[in-house]
Amino acid sequence: MNFWSRLRRFPFWSWLWFIIGGLYFILPLLATFEFSLSWDPEIPLKAYQRAFEDNDFWETFIYSNVLALATIIVSIILIVPTAYWIRLRLPEARRIVEFITLMPFVVPAIILVFGLIRIYSSPFNVPFTDIRLMQPLTNFKAGTNILIVAGYMVLAMPYMYRSVDTGMRTVDIRTLTEAAQSLGANWYTIITRVILPNIRSALLSGALLTFAIVVGEVTLASFLGVDAFGPYLFLLGQHRAYEPAALSFVSFLLTWLAMGLIQLFTGGQGQAAGAH
Amino acid sequence: MAYLSLNNVTKQFGDVVVVDNFKLEMEKGEFVSFLGPSGCGKTTTLRMVAGFEIPTSGTIMLDGIDITNKAPNQRNVGMIFQAYALFPNMTVAQNIGFGLRIRKQAEHEVAARVNEMLGLVNLEKHADKYPYQLSGGQQQRVSLARALAIRPDVLLLDEPLSALDAKIRVSLRAEIRAIQKRLGITAIFVTHDQEEALSISDRIVVMNVGEMEQVGTPFEIYNFPKTQFVANFVGSLNNADAEVIDPANGILAMDGVHFKTAEGDFANRRKGDKVKISIRPERFSFAAEPMKENVVDCTVENITFLGAVVRIQIKIGNTKFNMDTFNNPFLELPAIGAKEKVMCSKEAVLVL
Repeated sequence: MNFWSRLRRFPFWSWLWFIIGGLYFILPLLATFEFSLSWDPEIPLKAYQRAFEDNDFWETFIYSNVLALATIIVSIILIVPTAYWIRLRLPEARRIVEFITLMPFVVPAIILVFGLIRIYSSPFNVPFTDIRLMQPLTNFKAGTNILIVAGYMVLAMPYMYRSVDTGMRTVDIRTLTEAAQSLGANWYTIITRVILPNIRSALLSGALLTFAIVVGEVTLASFLGVDAFGPYLFLLGQHRAYEPAALSFVSFLLTWLAMGLIQLFTGGQGQAAGAH
Repeated sequence: MAYLSLNNVTKQFGDVVVVDNFKLEMEKGEFVSFLGPSGCGKTTTLRMVAGFEIPTSGTIMLDGIDITNKAPNQRNVGMIFQAYALFPNMTVAQNIGFGLRIRKQAEHEVAARVNEMLGLVNLEKHADKYPYQLSGGQQQRVSLARALAIRPDVLLLDEPLSALDAKIRVSLRAEIRAIQKRLGITAIFVTHDQEEALSISDRIVVMNVGEMEQVGTPFEIYNFPKTQFVANFVGSLNNADAEVIDPANGILAMDGVHFKTAEGDFANRRKGDKVKISIRPERFSFAAEPMKENVVDCTVENITFLGAVVRIQIKIGNTKFNMDTFNNPFLELPAIGAKEKVMCSKEAVLVL
């Protein structure tokens, strides 16, 4: 085969669009990275050094990570059995649940946070009496943490639900459940040993998206008055030039690392091997 | 007392009666097939035995215990599915051992039983493979081993061979039957394939729109169908309209051609009554020797070679019939359009 016939077989247009697409994503990242290095030509990593030296960075970053972890756990506990039960026993409820899961796209986070504050900034009384059951959730740290995790769960719900639901669609949930039941398994065993392992990559995808949403979220954290990573980055961006660029670049790297981990855990296959 | 009995079991989904007044008694070690077209209620009946559906009315008794409302995981019933239903995240050995580990058996007992089951289905070399690394036939054998590993009281097979190719289907059904006989396990096999049901079963329950049409051995079902549906569904059948000529002697006329039937139940028939007669294609033969009854003139219309069988389309009066004859290299077939004489015994003429 000579050079010209090889050239004719080369998918030129496919590669052209792929390269343009790639540049669209990579160029801003490179620009951010280059800008983050330009603070002091003698110490190229000065922005990174300064950012990491800041105690507030570590405190807010760790706090947001803990919130993200809590949100992921609560989401899995709530969404996996819901999606499972709807697929197994209540397929007619699927449209309603899908509509509910789309609500966070329609209702902005600002509305959600004001709703939460409006409801939970009042004490809980026994209905029609003045007997107080609990003080307002916004009045104490643990209560605020519960509120913000609940709020994040709502924000991440569309992504988590859809990931889990798609994962369940790729395996024959009903037949696997019945097979496990006929072998003597109870519901707990079925979910933990049959369902969850077979939707592992879907869970990881949902968890990653949830993580990305929570770590960078500003609105809920600002209005509920918690020192999270999102508001910290926002404030930093208003007062500093180079550190925000450095931290943005680090965030990208963290996201890519997470995606790499998903590939590593799932071996690049969508679901557990052999799911059909 | 029967080992497994379904007593007047009915299942309704809303207003639709899917299974109506189903009654069956099975002995221990018996292999019974539920045979019928799609939507006849055979799988629903099986699922009620498995516990995946609860009967609207009626009871299911297993070894003297009422299991009608028991949860599926408390019935000790092994089930094999059409789609294999192997756990994709587990190896073959883990799949087979799943039910035993649920029962909290000691690990050495689990290992021994898994090896025994692997030997039973000839998959010893595949213990560490995942389901996706196996062929369809191998996956279904794993499914069989998994269901048998827990020593179930009843083995339920829900169209287990439907997803396999023809050759594997035939060999696996023989394997299933051999294993079932060897272990003496009670089994219910759901299928819409009559050949499968006829070849594998001790008894067959033929079902239609939720009702039992006939229960009997494969021989009875094929040779003595009690209803038009059973006669049509099991095997090939020629149907024709006829008129009763002589009820006392079982003489009928079809397009002016007389047939004698062995059917004795003509007490309620009168001369001139319209009836349907059915004759299986293989019951016809060319009249090579003189026969007193049912020797009729026909015209050969078409000949189709089907491998082991040659199907000859003949016209008797104005009605077309199929006639089957075994193929052999020395078979002398008539020419198309030839006038011939064919015959069939009076027992071959079914009035349903």
